[in-house]
Amino acid sequence: MSWGLFIWFAAAAVICWSLGAYFAWKGQGARVYLFTFLGLAVFFAFILGMWISLERPPLRTMGETRLWYSFFLPLAGIIVYSRWRYKWILSFSTVLSLVFIWVNLFKPGIHSKALMPALQSPWFAPHVIVYMFSYALLGAATFMAGYILFFRKDKTAAKELNITDNLVYVGLAFLTIGMLFGALWAKAAWGHYWAWDPKETWAAITWLCYLLYLHYRKTSPGKWTEACLILLVAFVCLQICWWGINYLPSAKGFSIHTYGN
Amino acid sequence: MWTKPWKTSEGFLIAGGLFVFGIALQIAVGPVRWSLLAAPANYIALLLLLCAIALMYILRKKVYLFEWMMHGGAAVSSIACALGITMVMGLLPQMREGGVPWLSQMLSFWPFVLLWMWMMLIAALATLNHMRHFKWSQIPFLLNHLGVVVAVAAATFGNADMQKLKMRVYYDSPQWIALSEDDKAVEPGIGIELNDFTIDYYEDMSPKRFASEITVNTADGQKVIGTVEVNNPLKVSGWKIYQYGYDKGLGSESPYSIFMLVKDPWLPAVYTGIFMMLAGALCLMLFMAPKPIKEEEEF
Repeated sequence: MSWGLFIWFAAAAVICWSLGAYFAWKGQGARVYLFTFLGLAVFFAFILGMWISLERPPLRTMGETRLWYSFFLPLAGIIVYSRWRYKWILSFSTVLSLVFIWVNLFKPGIHSKALMPALQSPWFAPHVIVYMFSYALLGAATFMAGYILFFRKDKTAAKELNITDNLVYVGLAFLTIGMLFGALWAKAAWGHYWAWDPKETWAAITWLCYLLYLHYRKTSPGKWTEACLILLVAFVCLQICWWGINYLPSAKGFSIHTYGN
Repeated sequence: MWTKPWKTSEGFLIAGGLFVFGIALQIAVGPVRWSLLAAPANYIALLLLLCAIALMYILRKKVYLFEWMMHGGAAVSSIACALGITMVMGLLPQMREGGVPWLSQMLSFWPFVLLWMWMMLIAALATLNHMRHFKWSQIPFLLNHLGVVVAVAAATFGNADMQKLKMRVYYDSPQWIALSEDDKAVEPGIGIELNDFTIDYYEDMSPKRFASEITVNTADGQKVIGTVEVNNPLKVSGWKIYQYGYDKGLGSESPYSIFMLVKDPWLPAVYTGIFMMLAGALCLMLFMAPKPIKEEEEF
């Protein structure tokens, strides 16, 4: 599989996801699942093809993690849809996925076969995949929080908050698993499970933000404005942890988590 | 403020007090000297701390502060404060010395340490409070809270007992001496002989694999032959031996290989905490998430 084929696979997947989103608006359940999963299968086939031709999991560069993010967004979307039957969720996840596909078409990153020894570990794939899935869920939670804050502000939004809470619970669970897999891997690679490397520090910050949200929702269930604001801040921290770290003066030249984009 | 029941704002004031107290400590005794917490001091300190926690729990009806610490307002304020000071750490470059006074050595900055301890103390008390009337449905809560307390406590109290040595081994000369983190010569009690050091390259000449074939001699006369490579340490008599470095100028012709030797007696305790947290994370998504609200209308 070569990168040149990406545009075709991506186009086919986006068309399938758009059809799924369209049928969600029409309320035709079976077709929603059919087309969304078809799109996911097409997109995953490309990832798998890249995996085989690169002879390593495509998880090293930013472009490669964006690939997974584009895949997990519609997956998170269909999970939310299956639980709450939101008509719009699949349109949202498709558009967001398209944004990341778009970025990848213009900035694919380098896709060489080289995988430095530090990344050759059985922990590599689970660590990054779990993180990307959690980012997709928490991205959806952020979107819900923004929707509640800016569009539903004068109504009670119990149902929306319930969805947001659920997304954060599951997202935080995956975030925790991703972080702890990282710790177990770090022990095998560098001799210590936690070294307060800038990437680790920001992972801890992100984790604490979502922890704060959960505890705040438990103690002050009525104060949803503040809760939603916490989620917006949390997502900024998540972005810093994911890619912002490459531009942060505190991390430049200090982080061992830079693998050349 | 300060009328019962206390809420979150009292928590912020207490944390503010801790911060000021931390600054005072920093001025009075200087930065936290973690090396003082080596065995047996760490065992004694941990024991005292556990006694203190037990005492706080017992006195919860007498001292309102302790009662309050077991509840949500304390949790929210303490997480927010630990979060805030960790954000400062994330924004400022962290270095061994120099940089921003105090804040560039955040790990030995008293207010940072106190605010994290405060958060962990509150998590520990909340755990005890949930154990009082044990029910199976509390397992998820206990796994998450006790897990993080165990992992962080073991990592913190065990830190000074962890040995991280660097050993440079040349061909044909068994090495029994290593350097500690502060560059002191140490005898780890094992000797390493380098049999072969190799680097494999990709087509574009970026390194694919670093590996050292070694023979490890233990103090009791045993010989262990093995390969050490990145991500694959070798375990011999309590030490984990990691591939650490080589002569970069000479590449695969390097006349020596550098190993990192790590011994961390508290690791099993940290892993216990980590596995509790992993189980807790599964519970978080399976059992703890709020029930979906069934809808009346779609929008």
